[in-house]
Amino acid sequence: MISLTGLNLILPQLIIALAAIIVMLSIAVKRCHRFTNLFTLLSFAAAAISVLYIPRGSFGVSSLFVVDGFGKFFTVLIACAGFVITLMSYHYLNAREKRNEEYYILLLLSSLGALTMVISNHFVSFFLSLEVLSVSLYALIGYLKEEPAGIESGIKYLVLAAVSSSFLLFGIALIYMQTGHLDLSGIAAGLSSSGEFSGVFIAGLAMVIVGIGFKMALVPFHLWTPDIYAGASAPVSAFVATVSKGAVFAFLLRLFYSTGGLENKNVWTVFTIIAVASMLFGNWLALRQQNIKRLLAYSSIGHLGYLMVAFLAITDRGMQAATFYLVVYFTGMLAAFGTVIYMSNKKGEALYIDDYRGLFWKKPWLAAIFTTVMLSLAGIPLTAGFLGKLYLLTAGTEVGIWLLVIVLVVSSGIGLFYYLRVVAVMFAGKNENEASSEPVIGKIFPHGLVLTLLFLLLLWFGVYPSSLLEIIQQIASVIR
Amino acid sequence: MSITLILFWFLSVLALFSAAMVVASKNPVYSVLWLILVFFAISGHYLLLNAQFLAIVNIIVYAGAIMVLFLFVIMLMNLNKSNEPKRNKWLNLAGVLAGGCLLLVLVAALKNAETKATLAETGTGNIGLIENLGKALFTDYVVPFEISSVLFLSAMVGAVVLGKKESSPDTAGQSGKSSEK
Amino acid sequence: MTLVYIILILMFGGLISWIIAGKNSSLAKGIALLAVLADLVIIIGFWISVYDKFDLGSQQWLIDYRVEWMPQLGISFHLAMDGLSLLMTALALFLGAVSLIVSWNEISKNLGFYLFNALWLIAGIIGVFLSLDLILFYFFWEVMLVPMYFILAIWGHENRRYAGMKFFLFTQLSGLLMLIAIIALYFIHGKNSGQYTFDYFALIGTSLSAKTGLWLMCGFMIAFLVKLGIVPFHSWLPDAYTQSPTGGSILLAALMSKTAAYGMLRFVVPLFPEASKTFAPVAITLGVVSILYGAKLAYAQTDLKRMIAFSSMSHMGFIMVGIFSFQALSYQGTIIEMIAHGISITALFTVAGVIHARIQTRDMDQMGRFWEQVPKMGAITMIFVLATLGLPGLGNFVAEFLILTGAFKSNVTLTVLAALGLIASMIYALVILQKIFHGERRKEWKLTDLTPREVLAMGCLIVAIVWIGIYPQPVIKTAQPTVNSLEQNSNNTTFVNDTGPTNKMTLKNGDENMTMTRETSTFFLSLNKKGGGK
Repeated sequence: MISLTGLNLILPQLIIALAAIIVMLSIAVKRCHRFTNLFTLLSFAAAAISVLYIPRGSFGVSSLFVVDGFGKFFTVLIACAGFVITLMSYHYLNAREKRNEEYYILLLLSSLGALTMVISNHFVSFFLSLEVLSVSLYALIGYLKEEPAGIESGIKYLVLAAVSSSFLLFGIALIYMQTGHLDLSGIAAGLSSSGEFSGVFIAGLAMVIVGIGFKMALVPFHLWTPDIYAGASAPVSAFVATVSKGAVFAFLLRLFYSTGGLENKNVWTVFTIIAVASMLFGNWLALRQQNIKRLLAYSSIGHLGYLMVAFLAITDRGMQAATFYLVVYFTGMLAAFGTVIYMSNKKGEALYIDDYRGLFWKKPWLAAIFTTVMLSLAGIPLTAGFLGKLYLLTAGTEVGIWLLVIVLVVSSGIGLFYYLRVVAVMFAGKNENEASSEPVIGKIFPHGLVLTLLFLLLLWFGVYPSSLLEIIQQIASVIR
Repeated sequence: MSITLILFWFLSVLALFSAAMVVASKNPVYSVLWLILVFFAISGHYLLLNAQFLAIVNIIVYAGAIMVLFLFVIMLMNLNKSNEPKRNKWLNLAGVLAGGCLLLVLVAALKNAETKATLAETGTGNIGLIENLGKALFTDYVVPFEISSVLFLSAMVGAVVLGKKESSPDTAGQSGKSSEK
Repeated sequence: MTLVYIILILMFGGLISWIIAGKNSSLAKGIALLAVLADLVIIIGFWISVYDKFDLGSQQWLIDYRVEWMPQLGISFHLAMDGLSLLMTALALFLGAVSLIVSWNEISKNLGFYLFNALWLIAGIIGVFLSLDLILFYFFWEVMLVPMYFILAIWGHENRRYAGMKFFLFTQLSGLLMLIAIIALYFIHGKNSGQYTFDYFALIGTSLSAKTGLWLMCGFMIAFLVKLGIVPFHSWLPDAYTQSPTGGSILLAALMSKTAAYGMLRFVVPLFPEASKTFAPVAITLGVVSILYGAKLAYAQTDLKRMIAFSSMSHMGFIMVGIFSFQALSYQGTIIEMIAHGISITALFTVAGVIHARIQTRDMDQMGRFWEQVPKMGAITMIFVLATLGLPGLGNFVAEFLILTGAFKSNVTLTVLAALGLIASMIYALVILQKIFHGERRKEWKLTDLTPREVLAMGCLIVAIVWIGIYPQPVIKTAQPTVNSLEQNSNNTTFVNDTGPTNKMTLKNGDENMTMTRETSTFFLSLNKKGGGK
């Protein structure tokens, strides 16, 4: 039985759930985009702040959730990402869509899915969170009516996500059949008592990997990513790239670290193959892209591959590296999509690299921010991306997984090509037909402000990340 | 061979066969009808496991409500002619191969599995009884239960958003309200 | 703190001049120059104040500044200065100032951003010369890269994008390999001693097995060889040197290549004494190949800047030979070569830039008989051409003489081959003079002679190169403590080897060298045939 004292442990989740309902009711009373946006912002902020009121330590909320430092950290991260995306959505939706209020219900609900996922300690809660996250995403991806590509990619995501969910469910069933438990600690106990992994268990794990790999867009399951990124509106793509992937990654860490699933050689090998393929293919396929959202999609595949290196190190340091890199990745991706949103106009988004030609001479600050973002994604010093990659490399080197480390280096070398291409275009000569195009959506407030903030974060984490590292070191050892 | 076992095998075969027919039928209306049969067979399994409540709910909700809705939608959309586009032969072959491989691996994995109990606990379990189910749902699983209600909320909002016809710009504000619920 | 200020002055100077340039371009240029000159004054003042201390030779480190940066990872903000880094910092600031003066009017488009990049580049280079934490070193190593890429890709010549991309990829990838080596060293040291740190002083005594040591050293060496432009890793170099604007070429050739030489002296030799001994024959061979191959290619060029680029590559070969001979004399020679080559290459690129600014071409086949029109330019060019070919009395002679004298003790055959490079350099260097200033007049160009501003810059360079050529004592004295510790370090390891059958060892090494040379030279000959026109 969950008592009222236990409720404060899931305060952020409750706030977001409540906010979704209030937004829905407020729409029924009166439509007001400004109010809805503001209210959503406030509730994301409240969710992030409410984490401070959760007592320190690790608490179980029934056997389904566990609220610990790791979960709280990710809660804050997701709430902040939600906040940023809400801010970025306001002018974008104003310009491109007439009926905007429902967008925020869906955004809040899918964030709720992510927020419950990061504290899940049980397959039931994980699966439910995953569905909450996905179902809202189907609608979010197809939200823009005037974009046929949006509806198409929404359907595509729906079908593929349903298939992957069914794999996941079957996998969970097989694991249950073998261990008799659905909660992670029970599974761990069941495993340690039986000693070796049975075929059924491995088959179950493999299917779970398929499901999770799909959500994280790791390589053999990545085919949906570029289409969905390109088809969905830019704020939603940002959401898919950050919140959705990050939450699943958090559960992946919890699942495999707390059950010890990675200690099996076969499972480890499978993940190594997935990681290597993601790093190489992600970066390789990004090379030829002209569409910046597809480029970011492939680059995010590569980045998730980098994260797997830290995941496969199975050490405290790997855990910290993964967490730190995820923060860096969130910041970089949000800023990258933020720039795309800023540059979009009423007719459409600034999709093509050529849309950014000569940006530096027109909007030097925006270009400087975008350059920093690209350099951070590429992992160049003075930006957070460098320290993130350094952390990943230390994690990999510590346990001597040389193959992964070398692939990481090689693929970030490949990555440089396309990040630099974007940068070079921004510094190239001016665009001829700019006079005919519409003015961009981006406004100094709040859009420019958010971008500047993300930009400063990238620099801050890149130059003096001690405070962040300290927090991460505190929370990242809790999980094991 | 006890009567339970005979029933178990009968229901299993029925469920698998109907499921295969759902996929194989050319006419979508037949597919839905076969699907209803699948649900009935599964409800039979629930009964064998002493989960009467689940069995009834399954029939009422799935076989009754949802499938009837499905049927209506299909009939309204007049899909009974098979007009699906020609698919690539090689793609079909690759699909069959991949699916076959997966089946092979799973069968291999399950063949040597030591299951906890060789026989299903027919008629002995009591988790499916309405009282126990209610207790479980409202004590241990109350949070996921609430989350699943949120899941329906998001599905509903999503369906409304996607399904709503785009109205002309000047009436957008008024019509939005009425179509909400 | 002085060291921090030196870097900060440059960084803030860059920022301010970027902001101001939109309103007042000459003020922005003035501020940028002022920032560099202020630093130069600080450094020279500091040099004079500590000059007497070098006599004692006991204290290597003059300033040591260390604060925690990311204690969780064992990374500290550790800057320190000894004689070597003092010389290099002074050189960087001096040549940085010269590069700003000579490209005073060259850059008109987006001047502010150029000044910003130039100053941050100089700041990054100085950071490399001063940092003693390996991550900080790597940090500055990469920080140099981005501004240089921008300078190259925005203000470069016709083929700038390609050259910029190539430059960036080569240096970045090799840098990442160095990063892996740094991290591996960190863990090996951490596991041995329990203290996880990237600090130079802590890591310097790490005991490594022969194989690991060699691998890690290779990680470092690849980064340095690429930046130095030594033969198998040189293909980015001619493109980048040629396509940069004059200021960029100067910073790239005169300063950035020196960071690699500095890195070898500061990190490779002390951190991996055993491995660098093992690697020395290969390194010297690569050096010799670079000397000869660079000279040969320089001779074949018609593009003036490309020719200078290859000549620079040839001189970098001497630096390799000097470092891996492990002799006090050759270390001294290397350090002087770094300075003298920096000065002379700056002057040559300036001349190339000046000519390009006047006639919009770098093709030497279109030049000729310039002396009559521009005698000042001709005379100044002659001085530096003579410096390049190693005329006694000018800086390069001292340097190359010391290097060869030192190297002769360790490997006779290769030293003789390297000395051949001096003759080769005479040929291509005189070709510059011959083709541009003498010979036939092929086209009617209207040339104007050097402006007073250019004369001033070149005058400074002439004073410097003559000073080093005639009285190199201050440089030698300043570098002496560093050289002492380097030599001590390598002697310690030879001591271990000496107990064994020394003669056999050297003989065997000698044989290997011979086969290596033959193999590599045939390899490059075949390359040369393929890429004939290059």
